[in-house]
Amino acid sequence: MQALFKNIKGDRLIWAIAALLAILSFLPVYSASSNLAYKGGSANTFGFFIKHFMHLFLGFAIMYGVHKIPYRYFKGLSLFMMPVVLVLLVITMLQGTTIDGANASRWIQIPIVGMSFQTSTFAYVVLMVYVSRYMSKIKDEVITFKDSILPLWLPVFLVLVLILPANFSTTAIMFLMVLMLVFLGGYPIRYLVLIVGSGVLMLGMFVLVAKAFPDAMPNRVDTWISRVENFANPEDTAADYQIEKAKIAIATGGIQGVGPGKSIQKNFLPQSSSDFIFAIIIEEYGLIGGLFIMILYMWLLFRIVIVSQKSDTVFGKLLVLGVGLPIVFQALINMAVAVELFPVTGQTLPLISSGGTSIWMTCMAVGIILSVSAKREELKEQEETEEESPLEILSETI
Amino acid sequence: MAVKEKDILNRLYFIAGCMFVFGMAVLFKLFSIQFLQGDKYRALANERVIKDVVIPANRGNVYSVNGNLLATSVPKYDIRFDAITPTSARFEKYLIPLSDSLASYTGKSSKYYQKELRRARANKNRYYLLARNIGYSGYMRLRNFPLLNLGAFKGGLIVEQKTKREHPMGGIAQRSIGYERFDEDGNVTRAGIDGAFGVKYLRGSDGHRRKQKIGKGQWKPLSDANEIEPKDGYDVYTTIDVNIQDIAHHALLKQLEEYEADHGCVVVMEAKTGEVRAISNLGRNDNGHYYERLNYAVGEAIEPGSTFKVMALMAALEDKVVDTSTVIDTKLGYKQFYGRGIYDTHGHGKISAARTLEVSSNIGLATIVDQGYAKNPRKFIAHLQDWGLDKPLGLPILGEGEPVIPQPGDKIWSKNALPSLAYGYNLKLTPLQTLTFYNAIANNGVIVKPRFIKEVKELGKVVESFDKVASDEKICSEKTLKEIQDILKHVVERGTGRSLYSPYFSMAGKTGTAQTEYWMKDWKDNKRYISSFAGYFPADNPKYSCIVVIHKPSVKKGYYGADVTGPVFKRIAQKIHTDTPIVDEVEALDVKVASVESEFENYYKTAQTYKTIMPNVVGLPVMDALALLENMQVDIRVKLEGSGVVKNQSVNHNQKLKNNQIVVLKAS
Repeated sequence: MQALFKNIKGDRLIWAIAALLAILSFLPVYSASSNLAYKGGSANTFGFFIKHFMHLFLGFAIMYGVHKIPYRYFKGLSLFMMPVVLVLLVITMLQGTTIDGANASRWIQIPIVGMSFQTSTFAYVVLMVYVSRYMSKIKDEVITFKDSILPLWLPVFLVLVLILPANFSTTAIMFLMVLMLVFLGGYPIRYLVLIVGSGVLMLGMFVLVAKAFPDAMPNRVDTWISRVENFANPEDTAADYQIEKAKIAIATGGIQGVGPGKSIQKNFLPQSSSDFIFAIIIEEYGLIGGLFIMILYMWLLFRIVIVSQKSDTVFGKLLVLGVGLPIVFQALINMAVAVELFPVTGQTLPLISSGGTSIWMTCMAVGIILSVSAKREELKEQEETEEESPLEILSETI
Repeated sequence: MAVKEKDILNRLYFIAGCMFVFGMAVLFKLFSIQFLQGDKYRALANERVIKDVVIPANRGNVYSVNGNLLATSVPKYDIRFDAITPTSARFEKYLIPLSDSLASYTGKSSKYYQKELRRARANKNRYYLLARNIGYSGYMRLRNFPLLNLGAFKGGLIVEQKTKREHPMGGIAQRSIGYERFDEDGNVTRAGIDGAFGVKYLRGSDGHRRKQKIGKGQWKPLSDANEIEPKDGYDVYTTIDVNIQDIAHHALLKQLEEYEADHGCVVVMEAKTGEVRAISNLGRNDNGHYYERLNYAVGEAIEPGSTFKVMALMAALEDKVVDTSTVIDTKLGYKQFYGRGIYDTHGHGKISAARTLEVSSNIGLATIVDQGYAKNPRKFIAHLQDWGLDKPLGLPILGEGEPVIPQPGDKIWSKNALPSLAYGYNLKLTPLQTLTFYNAIANNGVIVKPRFIKEVKELGKVVESFDKVASDEKICSEKTLKEIQDILKHVVERGTGRSLYSPYFSMAGKTGTAQTEYWMKDWKDNKRYISSFAGYFPADNPKYSCIVVIHKPSVKKGYYGADVTGPVFKRIAQKIHTDTPIVDEVEALDVKVASVESEFENYYKTAQTYKTIMPNVVGLPVMDALALLENMQVDIRVKLEGSGVVKNQSVNHNQKLKNNQIVVLKAS
């Protein structure tokens, strides 16, 4: 244990925040899973507890492992992983799992381990690293829009298009985060307008095609439209079920909350242990609990800014922001959904919600931030990262 | 585009600032939900998640005076079958056993059920009715049938329980025992005793329990105990005597059927206490069957006809307008009063005032009353009012008929009103009112209010008892009373009721034959009468008073009170007289019958002798044979074919028996 702590490098406060969030996640997730256990018929809540513990344990192992990698290696890794991610996304899409006729193929089974894995979340991290690498690479060049299409926007749009049919909200958030990152990296604003325009155009075409040929492929266009409509519609409709339950949970929580495990709405909120965990936290721990969680994320945001500031390379800065800001942003989106500031999306609350992929990828992202903050190596200006063998780096660290 | 680190940081501060603002917006929204919309959503939470479950109280029972159950609430079950729920494998496996069981339960064929159940499954029927309104034992049996015993989720068993009010005595006095029924709109129909005492005693008060919703549409109680415990209803002990009720019911039914009458009623009342021992109201349905249709005795105010002549004469005697021996000229069956003719069936000539009642002379009574009261009709009316005939009895049973007694100045009053009153027209009384008056005659002039209910009990403990309500004053002087009692006795001995006379038991009463619906145009072609008989028995020291009213008997078969209603009265009087044991206790018969003794001796000897060896049971009743074989020291299985006396035994006499050996007995 002592040795483990000695080996921990990087920003200690980020370690602390991550650990705190993980520890705090146990009670709400355990409480909310009681409904899953009851509905699933096994009535064994402890299984969910163990599962969540295993997810977090593995997540922190990933975090530890990743933070040991000198962050310059991520440049090469992202290049190497990009094609892998694309292949994985294609496999996922072709699996064609559907929920009630809508495309919900977001997971693939990991062979041998027998766990399922949400590929889009992994693609997210890889894409952000990839974009950071590109932006740091061109930092001293004057590039035209044309120059950036092939190395930057083609991979971005490829990834987005492969995720879009199954998961609009993730695609949109990813797109927004990529835009944010290239904006931070100093990409000309006028080009950004062009890219946003073409992104919207592509989405519009996809919706039209999906509407015109509803049988051509399983998609979730109807779900998106109804969700947005419900959000825009001020009247209470039956489809507002989830959000109404969330608001009831928040209202009943009051300042102090009803107490651990005493949530009532967890019985009725369909995704009480993941998408709507924030509502359950407020119901059980009140405004105090909700504020505390919010402060933790804001603190994380603050630490990310600090780490980014202190990093002495452009890649390091962009990398920290590229993988760090999405964590905070996703947390804010999740909370915004619970308080009806945002339409219902399937975004989890990072490090708190149950769900393996979400936890692991967040841990991986945190690990990358920690790696940058660890300053294990001075950034060397290495433009030709392609020459380095990614496999070599892998074998060196693991 | 040379990127400076400073530029990145500036942009970063912008982005981070945006995120911070976003975070603040989330917090703002959070506060607004909690504090501005909080009450609305908290109320919604209670509305959606908490419910008050009513625990219905058990309704009290209604008992007869002898403690027999007249009305009670029992659980009834509808058993249905969800033909979709069972898996194909289970359905196929259990279809035939289930059909066999159902067939043996209902008597239909197993094939029929196999077909029906298959069809239900093919039609995706999730609500196929297997049995309706079955009792608890039936329910216990059905739910142990193959497939159904797997329960709701595997076997598709659907059980719906409801509480039904049952009358264990069947149709007898059903209307007077009554019910309390609620329709969908929450309106209540209250009939009879059950209805009258429903709110106050029988219903009890429902309990409440707060429950919170949990997943799968289930509800869990919020606390250990019920918020409000249900309080069961009290039991009501009525004055109805099941035996007398039975007698009255069947006597009336028989006569109604014989005379094809429209409807009729009988009330039997205990003279001293006013307790109603029997009340039967039978009306005809479209098929000509009679059932407890409406509470005619309580609810139907009618022109009483000749039974009212007793009241008229009593008033006249009391006011000394006439003496029993005053000679009244009844002419030859026709006399004009104020330009309107009154008829008698026979001309009686000059007869005594007492005799006018015995022969039920309309002219006689009209003459007496008209002579005595024409100048002061109010004096006559005052008597009727003193006897309470102008007001309802004030019974707890709803729907009591309103009596009508006209007075000078009323719309229906005319010069002819007074002579009409004398023989029972131009006024309305319910049968029970008439009976109450006759009962007063039987009860030495004291009016007692009819009672249907004696006590209200909770778990056998008396909560409230209802005592007799009697008038302080007698209806008339001793002398008048004696005279009227004598006349009523004479009615049966030598008057209009002489056909009813029996030397074996005595009774007193007055016949009545009133025209009804005579104001309708078709009356001449289709004459309609109300036949009645009111009186009491025995004539001396009366025990019960009784009234019988039958509406619209078939004129071809007869319509006089003496013919139609009199026999009902007589039958009731006779049966009560003979059926009611005069000595309440009978000594146990302790006589030894030789054949029974010897049979028992034989049985005992066999049981003592044969412990492991097969006895000879041929010739023994099946019950004895079974008892013998199953009580032996070896544990054998006895199979029985047929019933009665054992004809054949599969194991021979004196053979040694082994454990689990099967012995087949054939009996016939």
